Order: sequence, then C-alpha cells, then structure tokens
Amino acid sequence: MSERPSTPRRLAHAARLALLGAGALAISACAQDAPQDTWAPEGENAQTIHNLQWPIFLVAGIVGVIVMAVVLYAVIKFKDRGQPIPEQSHGNPIIEYTFIALPAAILAVIAGFTVNTIFDLAETQDTECVINVTGQQWWWEYDYPVAADGSICGYTPSNAAAVPLITSGQVIIPTDTKVLIRGTSRDVIHSFWIPKLNGKRDMVPGRVHTWRFHADGPGIYAGQCTEFCGLSHANMRMEMIALDPDDFQAWLDNQLEPYQSPEAGTLAAAGEVTYVSQCARCHQVDGLVDGNGDPIVSAPDQWVYSGAAPNLTNFMTRNTFAGASWDLLTPACRDEVWNASPEDFGAAYLKGVTPECLNEIDLKEWLRDAPAKKPMYADATALLETDGKVRGMPNLGLSEDQINELVAYLLERK
Amino acid sequence: MITTGSKLLVGSAVAAGLLALIYGVANGGALGTIGLISAAAGLALLAGISTYGRDANVSAMDTDAFESSAAAQASATPSLWPLLIAVGATAMALGLASLPALFILGAIIVTAGALEWLVQGWSERASAERGYNSHARNFLIDPLEIPIAAAIVFGIVAYSFSRVMLGLPSKSSTVIGFSIVSALVLAIGAVVGVKRGASKTALTGTFGLATVALIAGGTVAGVNGEREIEVHKTTAYYAARGECGAEEVSADEKASQTVAGKSNVAAEVIFDGTTLTWTAPGFVPTVEGAAPLTLPRSNPNNVMFRNESGGEARLVIGMNPRLDDNGQPVGPEQICTALAKEGGVQFLTLIFDLPSFATDEGYEFAVPGTDATLEVVVP
Repeated sequence: MSERPSTPRRLAHAARLALLGAGALAISACAQDAPQDTWAPEGENAQTIHNLQWPIFLVAGIVGVIVMAVVLYAVIKFKDRGQPIPEQSHGNPIIEYTFIALPAAILAVIAGFTVNTIFDLAETQDTECVINVTGQQWWWEYDYPVAADGSICGYTPSNAAAVPLITSGQVIIPTDTKVLIRGTSRDVIHSFWIPKLNGKRDMVPGRVHTWRFHADGPGIYAGQCTEFCGLSHANMRMEMIALDPDDFQAWLDNQLEPYQSPEAGTLAAAGEVTYVSQCARCHQVDGLVDGNGDPIVSAPDQWVYSGAAPNLTNFMTRNTFAGASWDLLTPACRDEVWNASPEDFGAAYLKGVTPECLNEIDLKEWLRDAPAKKPMYADATALLETDGKVRGMPNLGLSEDQINELVAYLLERK
Repeated sequence: MITTGSKLLVGSAVAAGLLALIYGVANGGALGTIGLISAAAGLALLAGISTYGRDANVSAMDTDAFESSAAAQASATPSLWPLLIAVGATAMALGLASLPALFILGAIIVTAGALEWLVQGWSERASAERGYNSHARNFLIDPLEIPIAAAIVFGIVAYSFSRVMLGLPSKSSTVIGFSIVSALVLAIGAVVGVKRGASKTALTGTFGLATVALIAGGTVAGVNGEREIEVHKTTAYYAARGECGAEEVSADEKASQTVAGKSNVAAEVIFDGTTLTWTAPGFVPTVEGAAPLTLPRSNPNNVMFRNESGGEARLVIGMNPRLDDNGQPVGPEQICTALAKEGGVQFLTLIFDLPSFATDEGYEFAVPGTDATLEVVVP
C-alpha cells in the first residue's frame, strides 16, 4: 500500500496545477487571429463599451483579489490546530455598515456609468446612414433605403437613380460614418453582434430595434448571431465591411448596375436557364426577365418558413455565402483581402470573386446538398408544423452539369 | 415471502412490458414505446428492491421477525380512494363519449386516486409501528399533496373571483367591487395582525365561509355569463369587409392591435390634413418625410398612423396580394386603420407578398377623401 504524500508535497502539487491552469488561461487570452475579440474596439460605439467594461473589470478584479486574500488569510490563520475556541461575539455595527455601504457605493458608481453608456448607445438623432437588417434562420438580410435627396447612406449613385439595395451575409458601410441599423426578424429571435464595433442587440419578430455602428477604418468586422435560434444557430454569421468613401461610392455604383444576361451559348447562359428553373422560385436576381420581358419574381414566402431567401443579384461582390459561414474566396485570396492594408483594402474587396479566386469546392458542395453542409430543416415532407415550408435551403437534387452551369452563371453576378 | 407491494410492482412491470409490446407493434410509436419500456424497467427495479430489501427473506423459523414483519401485519384499513377512482373512471367513460376535457379530468382523478391508494396501502404495512407508518406516508406524499391541493384551491378561488368580476354589470362596478374586497382583506389582515390571540377556529371559520361565498358567487356569476364587453375592431376586420372609405361606423381610439407593437413600429405615418409624411428612429422627418418609406417583404411591418389634421381620417393601402391558381387574391386587396380622431393614432400591420417592382402600381399609403399619398417601397 503506497504511503500518502506529505502535506507540503500535496501543497506543492496543488500549486503546480494551479500555475498550469493559470498559464493555460493566460495563453488562451493571447490569440492573434481573433476577429471577434471584445477587447479590441475599432469603432466609437465599441470604444464606449470598452471604456466602461475595462474599469469595471479592474475594480471587480481588485475586489476579487482582496476577498480571496482575506478568505485565504482566514483559512490559514484560523485553521483548527486544537486551540481553544475563541470568544464568540455577534454583531459589529461599524463593520457591518461598512461592508454594506462599500459594495453599494461601488455598485452605484458602476450603475451610473452603465446607465450613461446605455443612453449613449441608444442615441439615434445623429444618424448618417440607415440600414434595415432582417434576421431569419440562418442568415441576415440587409436593405438600404433611399433618402429624400435620392442618396443612400449620404452617397448619391453616379450611374443610376437610387433604388433600395438588398443584400445578405455582408453588410457594407462607409468608414467614419454613424450608421444606424433598424433590425427585426422574420421567424424567431436572433441577436446581432459585431464585437469590434458594438455590443449585442436582439432582433425580435414584429419589433424594430435600432443599433449604432461606426468603423474607424476600412476592414472586415466579423460577428455572429448570439441568441440561440435553432439548428444552425452556430452557422449564422455576419460580416460588416467598412469601405472608405471613394470605395463605398464605387460599391454603390456597382450594385446599381443593370442586369446583364450571359453571352449566348456559354456555360453561364445555360446556368441562367437552370437558375430560372431551379433557384428563382426562392432567390431573386433583380433585372432577370422571362421570355415575355416580364420580371421574374421569386416567391420564397410560398416555400420557406421565414418567407425570404438571399437576393443573388450581386452575389459575387460579396465573398461569403450561406449565412457568411463559408468563403466564396479560396484561402489564399481570402487572406489577401483580410490582411490588406487599410489603403489597399477597398480595392482588394471590390475585386469581388474572380474565377481564379472562387472557392468552387464549398460552393459546389452547397449546391450539391445544402442540408448536408449546414444543418437545416429542409425536408418539406417532414415539416407538418410549417405546412411543408422549409427552414433553410433544401437539397434540390441538381446534376453535376447543372451545378457547373450555376457556378458559371453566379460568377457573373457582379 | 413476497409481499403484496412486491407483487403489485412485479405485476405492474409485466403489464407495462406487455403494453409496450402491444403499443410498439400496433402503433409503431417510438416515443410511447420508449416510455412504456422505461416504466417497465423502473417498476421491475422497484420490484427487485422491494423483494430484496423488505421482508422477503424472513425465515419462518425466526418467530419474532416473522410475527413483526410488515407483511405479517393486518391488511390495510378500508379506504375511500377507490370511490374517487370510480368517479374518475366514470368521468373518463363519459368523456370518451362527449368532451375530451372530461376524459382528461377523469384520467387525472384516476391517477391521483390510484397514487394515493397505493401510498396508503404501502404505508399502512410499511412496518409494525402505526406511528412510523403514518410518518412514512406523510413524508412521501406531503411534498406532492400540499402544493397540488394549494394550487387547486387557489385556482378555484381565482377562477371564481374572475367570474364574479366579469359578471358585474359595468367596469365601474368591478372597480368598486375589487376595492371593497381588497379593503376587506386588508382590514381582516390588520385585525389578525393586531389581535395575535385570535383563535384558530375563528380564523378557519372566517376563511372557510369567505371561500364558500366566493365559490358560490363565482358559480352564480358563471351561470349568468359575462357582461357585454365591446370588441374593438382590428384592421383585419375592416380589410375583410372592404370598409376603408372616408365614411366610418365609429371612430375608436382603442381599435389598435397590440401595445407592444406600438413601442417598436417600423415607421410613424403622419397626416397633417394635406400631406402624408413619415418618421422613424434614425430618420429626420423634415428631410426624410418626402422620401418613399422602405419596408421589408414577407414580414409583419407595424406602422403607426398619427392624425394631426382637423378632422377624422384613416390610412389605407393597396396590398397587391399574390393571386392563386384561379386568379383570386390570396390576401386582402387593401387594408386600413379604423377612423382616427383629430390628434388620434391608429395602428396598422402590413405584410407584403411582392416587391414593388413586381406590381403594376407599387404600394402607396392614402387617406380617403384627400389627395394625400405616400409611396412605400418594398425591395
């Protein structure tokens, strides 16, 4: 029978374990590639939150250390060593009132700054750009309303009259602009969170919630839904793309370019036919017309529970798909965009997806069997409660030829 | 020696197993089969514990233990629980032929009666000591019995009280009645609090009488029915009848649909007598008012109509609904608010089937009897 280790050895062992745990925690806090780091604000709203949370963590840390030290001191100092029980007394008004007043005062100060921050973040009067945001299982839709002067976010299109833009996955904003999103949901509660630009805001069906955003510089700001919203909640991501003014103007002009059909006889032209027969019932491509010249209008409300599917008019100008869960760019091209300097970022992003940079593997897997790639309730025959309407994109049973055609067609949606 | 309780548990386990087999084969319901198999396994485990841990292995040669074992004690005393079970079974039978709710109530009564009877039967033979048996019974069943009984009594009292309040002839009388009752409760509470020596009998009698009076009042009021309560019309009501003209049956400030929606509207549309403008958080009305209002497709949009004109007005919009295979619209062709008084507000919920570009005329708010319009864009 082995001998039990002595007390000093056990203490040393415990200390080593504690040190190891603390080291692991410290190392995990040093991640370099952390696009959703809540401690690295890159906009004035996130900075407002940071200015509040940093001192609170500091105070809470100091209080925590003091409490732990006192507890440890009491445990060690007054450990039962067989000494007589000290005199028992009850009630010391000075100590009791102090220990009530001190935390109350600390909490009152924190509450004061917190309430002030809440009001600052709820401000809407200084808005320079409004974007409507609608969440649904499991992606985000963005539409840009047109202002009375014909501008969108303060920018007037140079090539066409402004009409409301609609996109998904990536929301584009101009840098150094006070952006207000007006968010809601089409099905269940979602929550919009871009940690480097602001905190979380729930999006509740039937209600409209406002939330401010501001990006100091150009770049991609990643986020994700933070309210559990069903099977693919973890795959409901979003990216806010901040572009410098000239780049935002270029993006805006490009979005309003009229639709161009693929050249006859090409693979993309065949893809247009496949798109109309297989995809257009849910997905809208603005400008696409039928043989009579009438616009082809999608009807996602008849097939999808949320009543919406992503608009694909300028699909290849954004570089993610399926709720921003997968990149449309190959890893090398993706890194070029993500790691571009602020000066070069706009040009890198506005290139969109070129044939050389297309991440065909993921896109084709998606077209081949979307529910296999992203968990969704996409079997209409098993959805009695939604009257056969799917949640997410179903498996369309496309042939490889059809998939190739569609990819060629989508590549031209810029 | 196998005790009666053990036999009961063994029998129940076998019955549950057989039912699982029958249910699984006949219905193929996975959930029910799993539940019944789980019940069979649980009951078998209890049977095993009971057989092993109780007095199954008392030797007949051990005369003391043999005579003092629980199984050797007299049978359980007569019980009234079977009467309750019979009432429940009757309710179930009647429910099968009439109301499903009656069947469910009967099933609950049967389950409760069976449980009580089971516990009584078990506890009265738990040991040779009656005091301990009584304690064992209360220890097991009180945590269930007391909260459920309290919930039932509270439910009856609350339901009776609500019937009385709804049966009073007017809203004013409910206010008066509620005030009187609350004052009485407060006064009695104060008396009890001050007079700490109040007898338990007097208090029980008072509360008993009050409860009986309340239940009697609730029964009478329930039989008489509720007073007539005005139902405020919703936008759907007017849409269904196409009553969206300038004329109106009545201007009703309370015809809005939800309070919550008002606090989070997509936009507020304002009519000043000649023009329609709109505002929303983030938009400055003086600048944005002339712009089209952008609202998302396939989603409920809550819009508040504020009438700042000198007379009554309502807001109307054509909805361009999708047509079915027979060319018939699948939703209302136009919807509107109720007539809003001068300075009043009304609430409208809109769901657009089609984007603006897919319609011939687009979408437009209008105020009947005036030229005021406001374009709505659905991207």
